Amino acid sequence: MPQTSAPALNPTASGNGNAALGYNPPGVRNTDSAVPLHPSEPVVHDYNSDGPAPGRLAFRWTYGSNVAAKNRDPRVQVVQYNEDSFVLRQNVCVHWEAPFTYLLFGNQGALLIDSGATANAKHYPLRETVDAIITRWGQARGRSKVPLTIALTSGEDIAQNQGLVQFAGRPDTNIVPTPLDVMKQHYGFRSSWPSGTGAIDLGDRVIEVIPTPGTHKDGVAFYDPYCQILFTGDFLYPGKINISNDRDFVTSLERLKTFAADRSPKWILGGHIEMMFVPGRYYPRFATYKPYERILQLAPDVINEVLQYAREIQGKDMLLIRPDFVLFNGVSPDQRTPVWPEGVPQINPPRPF
Amino acid sequence: MDRRTFISYNAAATVALTGNALTTFGNSAVAATRPAPIDFQSNLPAPGGFPKRWISGSSSCMDNTDPPVQVHWYNAHTAILRQNKAYSFEAPFTPLYFGNDRVLLLDEGFTTLRNDWDLRGVIDECIADWCSRNGRDPASLELLVAFSHLHSDHYAAVNQFADRPNTRYMGLTHEEMLGFWGMTNYPEESVTLDLGGREIEIWGSPGHVVSEFAYYDNYTQILYTGDMFYRGRCYITYWEPWFASMKRLIDFVDTHPVTHVMGCHVEISKDGTDYPYGLTHQPDEAPVQMTVQQLRETFAFAKTITEPGIYFTGTVFLCNQTRSTTTIDSNPYRY
Repeated sequence: MPQTSAPALNPTASGNGNAALGYNPPGVRNTDSAVPLHPSEPVVHDYNSDGPAPGRLAFRWTYGSNVAAKNRDPRVQVVQYNEDSFVLRQNVCVHWEAPFTYLLFGNQGALLIDSGATANAKHYPLRETVDAIITRWGQARGRSKVPLTIALTSGEDIAQNQGLVQFAGRPDTNIVPTPLDVMKQHYGFRSSWPSGTGAIDLGDRVIEVIPTPGTHKDGVAFYDPYCQILFTGDFLYPGKINISNDRDFVTSLERLKTFAADRSPKWILGGHIEMMFVPGRYYPRFATYKPYERILQLAPDVINEVLQYAREIQGKDMLLIRPDFVLFNGVSPDQRTPVWPEGVPQINPPRPF
Repeated sequence: MDRRTFISYNAAATVALTGNALTTFGNSAVAATRPAPIDFQSNLPAPGGFPKRWISGSSSCMDNTDPPVQVHWYNAHTAILRQNKAYSFEAPFTPLYFGNDRVLLLDEGFTTLRNDWDLRGVIDECIADWCSRNGRDPASLELLVAFSHLHSDHYAAVNQFADRPNTRYMGLTHEEMLGFWGMTNYPEESVTLDLGGREIEIWGSPGHVVSEFAYYDNYTQILYTGDMFYRGRCYITYWEPWFASMKRLIDFVDTHPVTHVMGCHVEISKDGTDYPYGLTHQPDEAPVQMTVQQLRETFAFAKTITEPGIYFTGTVFLCNQTRSTTTIDSNPYRY
């Protein structure tokens, strides 16, 4: 068909709709970004937004393969939630814990939450990947220096602290110290642990730090008010929550509930996925092939449910299955139970060979 | 030919006779090319050795560069294979016994597809290797694909042999398993399989599952006990049949010379630490072979067991009727 007239602006292809509108800075065209393509000076982003900043976790997580040795997926899977927030996942065939790591940017710097389960940079190139994302983000924002802060949801969690060594000696990097006492001092908790909150200022994006001991003595959660996401590590995630101290766990949940009631998070993102996409079923330890994983994000009302059942099993060594999580209180991570939660359908996912 | 005659039948004689029927030169041609049979009956037990350490996984599975199947030649006529832990955490051990007429393969790993894990190719290679060393034609050897017991980590790759010529493989039901060895009185009955001068004694060994065999090779004098007795967690589903099977093993070692007792897996470290179910890296693994003394000690220990539960005998974990809740770990995180 011959072209009869000049093509009109395609709102889908341009992403931002009408490029002439005020919220689009000059130079923006045919891009989803609110950032100019060739900034002449460092871009200062406005992190105030009505409600949670938009973002998507639409990509399927890599889930290993039935022959782990033959897996050729990326070692670090990077999913961009929005222009200033990245979710990284370790390949299941590098380490079965397959932890999630989060990278958030503000006008003054970046924050890496957690560091993965493998120290060897050849097997798990976290530093290299983070460096690449930061460089690219810096280029887009016209910044040559982006200071990085690294904070862990727990310094004791070996599924989250192993990658830290890769960042040793990295310039412009501030690693939150991992021993509990030093960590408390660093966030300024001193006597307010665990009832107070700390903060990490990324520049117009202030990440709040909430003490959540219970699965680890030194557990903390992070709240990002820009995306309205709560990062909870292995304290709260769609998987087998290993409660190490049930009294701490319950009180931390109570505090988290109060906190969430005040901030109304959009999602809770944890450190792993172990549940399957059918209710109450989960992968065993060491699984390197998890094709039926549940999605990562939990709705915020899961806090109430976890709290209710954590109270129920407080003081008892047992495990309790719920559709979106399993509580292991003081029992082995391989413990099994014949008890199935009432009213929850029992669905067997197909068995891969 | 019924199974009873089959297992003691001289396969080579069949080849020669059929050849004779086709051409009058057949018999002499076969006789001319065929070297003298290997003597599997004198100077027993045949010497042999296990590797100092088996390949046992790596910290990152996708960076594993070990061969998919580790082939260890115990001696010139006996290979012991092991599946790579990064291909399957079960990593079963697989003996391959060569006789003058037949080859016996016990267990086929925990991966089904040849694309994923080419057991068939490795077995063909081993047979070709053995044949070239001994001046045989691989096509003249019959391959028997059998397994220790009816669990998929021991027969998953059996279909890879479906199109292999001159091969018989065991069916995946209890009845077919017994029929394969021509047993009518399971588990007490003991049958002798003739691989061509090399004899394998086979009898029932239920307890871990209903359908399990013990295999004794008279040449190396290795007693292969499958999953009912191995270095790791012996999941005992049925205590009384298991105990009776142990008794049969003890009676056997009382009356026969045994060099090694060998199980299908290793799930324990040299210092007796349990490697939990599903682990893909066992850097300090205990050897797969056990002594007759260890078998006797375990039996002595088992005599004292009256309740379901997990017992460590010093050699193995006896998980008496605990399969669904078996766990040797306690909570390591508690504070």
